[in-house]
Amino acid sequence: MSNTNTIEVKVERTIAASPREAFDAWLNPKVPGTPWNMADKLLLNPTVDGFFFWAIKGTPHYGRFTAADRPGRIQHTWMSPNTSGLESMVTVTFEGKGKNTLMTLVHSGLPDTDGGRSHEKGWNFFLDGFQSQLAQSGAT
Amino acid sequence: MDQLNDVLGAISHPTRRAIIRRLANGPARFLDIAEPFDVALNAITKHLKVLERAALIQREKRGREVLISLRPEALRLVADWVHEYERFWNEKLDEFESHFKNQQRSKK
Repeated sequence: MSNTNTIEVKVERTIAASPREAFDAWLNPKVPGTPWNMADKLLLNPTVDGFFFWAIKGTPHYGRFTAADRPGRIQHTWMSPNTSGLESMVTVTFEGKGKNTLMTLVHSGLPDTDGGRSHEKGWNFFLDGFQSQLAQSGAT
Repeated sequence: MDQLNDVLGAISHPTRRAIIRRLANGPARFLDIAEPFDVALNAITKHLKVLERAALIQREKRGREVLISLRPEALRLVADWVHEYERFWNEKLDEFESHFKNQQRSKK
């Protein structure tokens, strides 16, 4: 499995709250948009070496918290049928920007199982900047 | 999945990516497409066949000329597949962001 190619996804948002408020909300299953929200079944222990389990529409997700540094950073592993037995890693950081918070989520170590090297090339292709050309050509 | 494999295979070669970029600006004749490349015309023909098999390009006869144009919808297959988790997290963070905006509005 060590030869499996992996990809990384990065998403950023500006949250209209302090880092502390955003951090606490991210770990609150009642808050919409958190991964724990709307789960059919949820077990959540957001402390270092604490585990989570959530299932939605019959799809189980498991993970182990590796960092919970309030209010700056949350990190946990992420395993689901889509990670093909690999521990992917989700890192969420909260950085104060005036009255707001820059929230950055990086999901790394996602296995590249279906497409092999083609997938990697496909990803790099988009990093080459083709997406903007695609948008210009009206495909998006 | 077969077409996805064809598309991924097609875009895995830098020359074919360059051809796609060229065609993103509009249809072109074969010789116009081949002109920037320092390779035999036969090689360009082979690259175009690969792109055609992946449904990334189409040929259209206009009078005496054959114009080759991009069919970018095939690339959506790659975008949808590559960005599965990106889409998931974008949806989640959109909801999360909206939650705080709604809170702010209700405070006013």
